[in-house]
Parts: sequence; C-alpha cells; structure tokens
Amino acid sequence: MSKILRIDMSDLSHKWEAVPKEYEILAGRAFTSAVVNKEVEPMSHPLRENNMFVISPGLLAGTPAPSSGRLSVGAKSPLTGGIKEANAGGLTADRLARIGIRGIIIDGAPSRGSKDWYSIVVRKDNCEIVKTNNYADKGLYELIGKIWKDYPVKPGIIGCGIAGQRLMKCAGVFGNNPENTDPGRYAGRGGLGAVLGSKRIVAIISDSTGGEIPTPKDKERFDRGRKALREALDKHPVTGKLTSDDGKPFGGLKNYGTNILQNILNEAGGLPSMGFSSGRFDGAAKISGEAVHELVDKTKKKFGDAAEASYAHACHPGCVMRCSNAVPYEKTGKLHVSPLEYESAWALGTNLGIGVLHDVAELNRLCNDLGLDTIEAGNTLAMLMEGGLIKYGDGPGAIKALKEAYSTDSALGRLVCSGTQTAGEALGVTRIPVVKGQALPAYDPRPIRGIGVTYATTTMGADHTAGYTIAAEILGIKGTVTDPRALNKAELSRAFQATTAYIDATGYCLFIAFCILDDDDGFKGMTDSVNGFLGKDIDVTEYGMAILKNERAFNKNAGFTEKDDRLPEFFRTEPLPPHNVTFDVTDAELDAVFKGM
Amino acid sequence: MRVQVKLYATLREYAPSNTEIGASFVVEFDGNTLGELVQRLGFEIDRAKIVMINGNRVVDMSTPVNEDDLVVIFPPVGGG
Ligand code: SF4
Repeated sequence: MSKILRIDMSDLSHKWEAVPKEYEILAGRAFTSAVVNKEVEPMSHPLRENNMFVISPGLLAGTPAPSSGRLSVGAKSPLTGGIKEANAGGLTADRLARIGIRGIIIDGAPSRGSKDWYSIVVRKDNCEIVKTNNYADKGLYELIGKIWKDYPVKPGIIGCGIAGQRLMKCAGVFGNNPENTDPGRYAGRGGLGAVLGSKRIVAIISDSTGGEIPTPKDKERFDRGRKALREALDKHPVTGKLTSDDGKPFGGLKNYGTNILQNILNEAGGLPSMGFSSGRFDGAAKISGEAVHELVDKTKKKFGDAAEASYAHACHPGCVMRCSNAVPYEKTGKLHVSPLEYESAWALGTNLGIGVLHDVAELNRLCNDLGLDTIEAGNTLAMLMEGGLIKYGDGPGAIKALKEAYSTDSALGRLVCSGTQTAGEALGVTRIPVVKGQALPAYDPRPIRGIGVTYATTTMGADHTAGYTIAAEILGIKGTVTDPRALNKAELSRAFQATTAYIDATGYCLFIAFCILDDDDGFKGMTDSVNGFLGKDIDVTEYGMAILKNERAFNKNAGFTEKDDRLPEFFRTEPLPPHNVTFDVTDAELDAVFKGM
Repeated sequence: MRVQVKLYATLREYAPSNTEIGASFVVEFDGNTLGELVQRLGFEIDRAKIVMINGNRVVDMSTPVNEDDLVVIFPPVGGG
C-alpha cells in the first residue's frame, strides 16, 4: 500500500496518511505539483515556514520498467517565486518506492534563531528526525561517505549542501549516485536546495530494508509494455546499446552522454557561448562528449582496472539508456567528477569561454561539493565575467571565485551562489539571460526559436526540459524541420510540454522521448506499462495538461501574468552570430501557447 | 571535386584515424550529390541523420555538393 509521510519541522513531528482518492494516480511531478498548488500559500516567502518541500518517486520507480527510477521534488521556488518541479536519478526514488512511499510532504521550520541541523531517516513504516549538526557545513563528497558509514545499508540520500544551508538561490538538491562516489545526481534547478536549508534539513536518508518491488495491477500488460519499451530503446541509435553486433560504437547516449550535443549545437550555430554573445565556441570540441569518451579510453588503457573512468554509466538502478559518465583526472586515473553532462559542460565551459576539460570538470566538482545547480552557477559566473570581475576564458579565475563560496564571510562567495539575476544586477549587467529569474540553459533561443517559446512560457522559468523542442528542431526526431519557421512554435512547444509532464510523473527518464517519439511500438510500450501498472487507461496529453494546469494555477495565484512569459530584451535586439538572427516570435504567439488555460 | 568533411560521434571512425575531434579533412570524389559523398565515405545513408553544408541544415540526399563546401555529418543524437 502506498502512503504519504507528512513532516512538520516546526515541532519535529511526523505522521503517516493513506493516499487520498484525488492523488490516487498521481506520482512524481503530478504529485508534487498537485500538492504544491493545493497546499502552499502562493504568496508565502519561499524561504520561510509556510513553504513546503514535496518529494515523490515516479509512478514506476522501484519496478523493473527500464529507466524508470526518477525522483521529483517540488516547492515554491526561491529563484523564480513560482512553482518548481525538479527531478533527478540517484537511489532515493527506488528506495522510497520499495517501502511504499508515494510522497513526503515537509512543512514548517524550526523556530527562528534555532541553530540546529536535522536529517530525516525514512525506513519501512518508520521515520526519525535526527539532530545532525555534524552533517552541516561540509563538502558533499565527504558528507555522503560519512552517511554511508553511519547507515551501512546503502541508503538513498538527497539534501542540500553549504549553498542551500546558507539559503542561496543557486542551491540545488543533491543526490548520491548508485556507487555513492559522487553527490552529482542533482534535482538542480530553481534553488530548491535553499528550501531544504530554510527548514534546517541537511539530508533525507532512505533505507529500503524489508521493502518490496511495487506490484502492478495488471501484471501481464505491464510486463508486455516494459519489454516492448526496452526493446525499442535498445535498438534506437540514440538510446541503444553501446556497440552494434559487429562491435562498432552504436548508442549515442551510452558512448558520448548528453554532451554529444556540444558539437552539434556548435555546428548548428545555436551553442550560446560567452554569455550568450555567439552561437559558436572554438573550444567546444575539447569539452564535448567525444572528448570525454577519448579521455576515458585513454585512462583505462593507462590504469587498467584501477581507472575510475566510464561512459555508459547508469544514474539509478535499472537505467538501460545509461547516459551518465565518470570523468577521471588525466594524471591519476582517479574520479574527478560524475557525471559531466551537456548542460554542465556548457554552463561551466562554453558559456564562460573555458575550453579546458580539466577546468570544466573541476568547476563541476566544486558545484557538486557545494550543493550548487551547475546551470545557475555557470550563468552566475558569466555575470561576474560580464561585470568585469573575471575574464572570459579564465578557468583558474572562475575556479578561484567559486572556491570563495566555502568561506562563511566572503561577499564574493555569496555573490557566486546568489543566482544570475541577483549577481547580474549587482554588477551593472544589462544582458542577463533569465526568464522568471531562472537562467537559460544550453540552447540559444535566437536561432532555435521553439525552445525560446518553451523558456518563455513554462511556469518553471527558463528550462529546456519543460518542453524539449530541440528534438524536433535540431535532432530531427518526430519530423524533420529544415526551416524552423515552418513549424508552428506554439503548437510544438505545448505538445512537448504536456508529454514531458506526463513522462516526469511516470518516473521514466525524459530521454526515452528520443526513442518513443520515433518508434510507435516504444510509445505503446510506455503507455502499456503505465496503464498496466495503474490498472486503468490514462491519456498522455490529458494527464500532462492536468499537471501543467496545476502549475499555471499556482503561478497565477502567486501574481504571475503573461508579461512574465517573455525573454529578456537583448534576445530581440542583439543578433547572434554566425546566423545573425534575433528572437522574433511575437508576444501574441507566445500567449497562444496556453491560451484559455 | 574536393570537399571538406567533418564527422562526429559514432561516425568518427570513418574519418582518417588521427583526425582531431571537430577537425575537418579533405575528401576527393567523383559524384555530385550529398548521397554520393556519403557513399564515398563508406557508411549507410540513414546514419547521416543531421547534415549541414556550409552551416546550413540539409535533409535531401540529392542536394548538390560543390567544390570546397564544408559538409558536417552527425548520426542520430539526443541528449539534454
Ligand atoms: S538516461 Fe541518463 S539521465 Fe536518464 S535515467 Fe539513464 S543515466 Fe539517468
């Protein structure tokens, strides 16, 4: 039986509840967004006691469905002031699902002036709120190692690092990887790490001892669906196997990870570089997925089994697409950071003009250790560069600035964690790449306008995953688009946003989209597995739209209007080389995306 | 005719063995079209999923290729 765990941090109490009828088929993002919309006071301060922090494993987490172990977290975002859902892999979704937890809802906060830090330990039918002052103010690599020693049951861990504990808006929610070697499984965006910090929580530790695999209502249909999906994923050249039958590299994600996109966006002229001032970067190839692949092969050759290097790494138990990697130090073969994915390599490399793989990996490691969202932190560092504090391309300078964040009394350290908008304004920058206060990710909206529509209109603030039109616009998945103007961008973006919301609820990794949008058997496999699990048919678009409606309702009540669904002015006025285009989708077209909702 | 070619990701193995990532190499061939160029490079046409000639995306394999063009080819890729 699934249940809900409610925790009140104002008196350190908890209680268990049955899943109410209205949440019966909701999990993952569908659950977190429904709870946030229903229960969080929309005008509350995101970093005070009236905000809530909601956690929910995806619907199929803990089951043998392929790549279905994603976790959603939700709250009112301190970065955007609107609703936020962020999701990640790691161990926690699997652990919670196996002990029958549909969601954890954390409310309240210890009284003001309270100096203590807590962790929440969740076991089968049991919850403890423990005082853990010794977990606070620590680097996260050290912390996850310590927690696995204190709790030797290989628990899932999520939580906030130094940045979240200091209520900084770049703070993400970290998660340990399956090997517990890196805290790099981030539900990164929206500053949700700071919401945990505001509740004085460092870690949420989940132990699945005594748990069991969730059982589908219609097992035969569920099994048929998951197997069909698995088959489709394995044979698709994006999500498929590492090598083909003749031993040649085959699956793009396994061989090169998401950072396979670095070179393609560069060649397409849509790779935002040096603070969104060019669509190309001459150092892109050196920090691309292909470069990581080469480094891993080289390290393995040199250090053999001792090399802590890999591609085709799984971010959670049961991922078959395995886009993750472990990037080694070239000199020692030891683990430097895991994963180094496209958005991070872009934010901390390309966007800063840094084309040295070691420096980019080091910046990513620092973000993981401090508890920072790499996209927001990278864009914030770009503001320091725009504002003249560091030069574009200065890797050591960026590393030094980020290290300031460990210090308790460094104003620069606070600034690099404060978010793109805050830092940009503090430094007199007028080209600040944010929507609703959240920084843009790795696709320039001027040459790739559909993603610009998503950035502008999603409730989440600029977020590529909210409606990944890149699949159609650049990658030729679901239709081949030669002239981006040929497609109705509003329609494209809305369709992707609804399907994405559904996938985020199921626990499936969004990357199954590359296969299922291309392969009807795969799509049917996905819906069969979900409908088989629930024992009833749900409609993908309807279910997805219902999630979007909750999210839009919350933002409306929090004071957002269509005027917030806009890109910053400079995207309309500064043409982006090499194509020298501006973002020319009209406001009326943007407003058409969710007209009447 | 001579054209410049860049191959990425799983197609890199069809480039001369010491070609650096992101570097182009020269190909001499007798044909006129993109499809013929792909054939000359030695892989199946459907592996050339994303092609750009001089920075512009093309989908039609019968698109003519001209002397000194830069042809960039990717297999199916995804990420994000
Ligand atoms: S494809 Fe990548 S991000 Fe998605 S679940 Fe697998 S390893 Fe994680």
